[in-house]
Amino acid sequence: MKDSEIIERIQGLLGGRVLAITNPSERRIFMTVAPRDLPDAARALRDGLGFAYLATISGVDMGPVFELLYHFANAHTCLSVRTEVPRSDPRVPSVTPVIPGAILYEREIQDMFGIVVEGLSDPRPLILPDDWPPENYPLRKDWKFTRPEERIPGGSS
Amino acid sequence: MKIQIPIGPQHPALKEPISLRMTVDGEVITDADLRLGYNHRGLEKLAEEKTWIQNIYLTERICGICSHSHATCFVQGVEKLMEIEAPKRGLYIRFLVAELERVHSHLLWLGVAGHEAGFDSFFMYTWRDREVVMDLLEMISGNRVHYAINTLGGVRRDVDDALKGKILGSLDLLRERSRYYLMIGANEPSFTGRLANVGYLSKKDAIDLCAVGPTARASGVAQDVRKDDPYGVYGEVPFEVCTADSCDVLGRTVVRVKELLQSYNIIEFLLRNLPPGPVAVRAPRKAKPGEVVSRYEAPRGENIHYIKSNGTDKPERLKVRAPTLANYAATIKMLKNGFIADIPLIFAAIDPCICCAERTVEVVDARSGEGRVLRFSDLRRAAAARQKNVSRKGDAEWPF
Repeated sequence: MKDSEIIERIQGLLGGRVLAITNPSERRIFMTVAPRDLPDAARALRDGLGFAYLATISGVDMGPVFELLYHFANAHTCLSVRTEVPRSDPRVPSVTPVIPGAILYEREIQDMFGIVVEGLSDPRPLILPDDWPPENYPLRKDWKFTRPEERIPGGSS
Repeated sequence: MKIQIPIGPQHPALKEPISLRMTVDGEVITDADLRLGYNHRGLEKLAEEKTWIQNIYLTERICGICSHSHATCFVQGVEKLMEIEAPKRGLYIRFLVAELERVHSHLLWLGVAGHEAGFDSFFMYTWRDREVVMDLLEMISGNRVHYAINTLGGVRRDVDDALKGKILGSLDLLRERSRYYLMIGANEPSFTGRLANVGYLSKKDAIDLCAVGPTARASGVAQDVRKDDPYGVYGEVPFEVCTADSCDVLGRTVVRVKELLQSYNIIEFLLRNLPPGPVAVRAPRKAKPGEVVSRYEAPRGENIHYIKSNGTDKPERLKVRAPTLANYAATIKMLKNGFIADIPLIFAAIDPCICCAERTVEVVDARSGEGRVLRFSDLRRAAAARQKNVSRKGDAEWPF
C-alpha cells in the first residue's frame, strides 16, 4: 500500500480530527491530532489500517508545549502521531485500553517529562529511583544535572 | 500464603540490571512486576550536549552486544537530516558488519539458552564458533565489541580482497556448524523437551503487547523491519523472514538458528556484489532543522531512534527505544502461570540475561495483605521452628 493511499484512508477514518498530515519521505507519515482524540484515533488506526504496533512514544520539550509523538508501524509504513500538551497543564489520555503494550512508554513519559497520563492502570514510577526528588523531570530542557555532593558513610568529611 | 520473590536487580553477568518481583503460589507464578532504571545513564539528555559526530560513539555505547545497531540507526537518521547519502560500497560494508553482528549475537544467545536449559556443551560449542565471527569483526574494524566503523556519510574502513576471501572461507564453517545446531534443536529430545511449551506467548498477545524481533516472530508475527521498511541495502538483498508458530522458547530458538542461516546468505551476497568506489563522503558539521524517524532491525528486534535537529551541530532531541524495552510487557505475560524454575529460561529467551534471586523474600500475608521482607536464613529458621512443633512429623519414621 502506497503512502498516499494510507493518507487518504486516514483522512477518511478520522476526518476533521486530523489537524495536519505530512509525508516528508518514503514510508514516513507525520500527523497531528488533539490530545483528547488520541485513544479514538489509535483505535481507528488499529482497526482500520492495522497500526497495532506502537514502536515507542517520543516526548520533546518545545518550551510552552510538550510535543508527544506516538510512532506506529504496520507492514507498509511508519506513522508518527503528533500531539501537543501545554506545559502549564500537561495531561494526556492513556492509549493502553487500545494498545496494552504502550504502558511502559507512558510510564516513561510520566517519569521523564512530568506529563500526567490519565487512565493508566499502573502509574508508579518506572525508571527514576524511589528517592528521586519530586517535581524533577530530567528530559525537560530547563532541568540541569548537578552532581550531588559525595558523602562517604561513616567518614568524617 | 502468597509469597513474593524478587529477582534481580544485581547479577555480575547481567547486561541490564532489572528487578522482577514474582508473586508465587507454590511453584506457579501468579503475577510478575517490573522495576527498571537501575542502569539508567541519562543518555538521551547527554546526547543533547554532544555534536553529531560525538553522538555516533555515544549511541554505540548504548549496548555492548548490538553496538553497531544503535550507531547505524543513529547514523542513517542523521544522514537523512544532513541530506547526504553514503556511497554504495560504504553501505555494503556497513551492513556486512551489521549482519556479522547479528550472527555473533545469535550465537551468543544460543549459548545462553543452552546454558539455562542445562546443556552446557551446547553453550561451549556456540561460543567457540562465535569466536570465528569476533575475529572477523576485529579484522574488519580493529575492534571486537565497539566496531566504531560508522561515520556520517559512510564507513571508516575498507575491506580488501584478502579479507573478503577470509570472510567467505569462514562462512563455510559457520554454515556447517549452524546446520548442526538446527539438527540438534530439532532432534535432541532432552533439549527440546526443556524448551517446548515454556514461556507461551500467543500471536494475539504478541501483537497487543507490541513485541518485537525473534520474540514476535516465534509467535507467528512476520514482522521484520528489514522487509517491512527496507533501509540501507536491504531493498536489494534477497532474504526471508524467519518465523515459528510454536509461540514458546523452542520457537524462539528455531527462529534464531534460521536467521543465522539467512544472515550467512546476506553476508555472502554483500561480499560477492561489493561495488567498487569510495567508502565515505564528507559530512557537514551542522544539520538543517528537521526531524527523522530511523528504524533498524537489531538482533533482538526493532530499534527506533527519533532525531530532531534545530540547525546547530547538536541534536535538539534524540529518543532511543531499544528492543528489549519493547519486549518487557510480553515477558510479564510469558512469566504468568509459568514455573519458578522457568524464570531464567523465559527471561533469557527475549535476550537479556537475568536469572538471579536476591537473598530476601517478601512474605505477604494473604489475609491481611501486609508484607514483610525476610532473609532466607530467617525463613529457614522459621521453617525449622515450625517443624519442631509438628508432632506427627517429629515422630515419623523413615519408611525403609
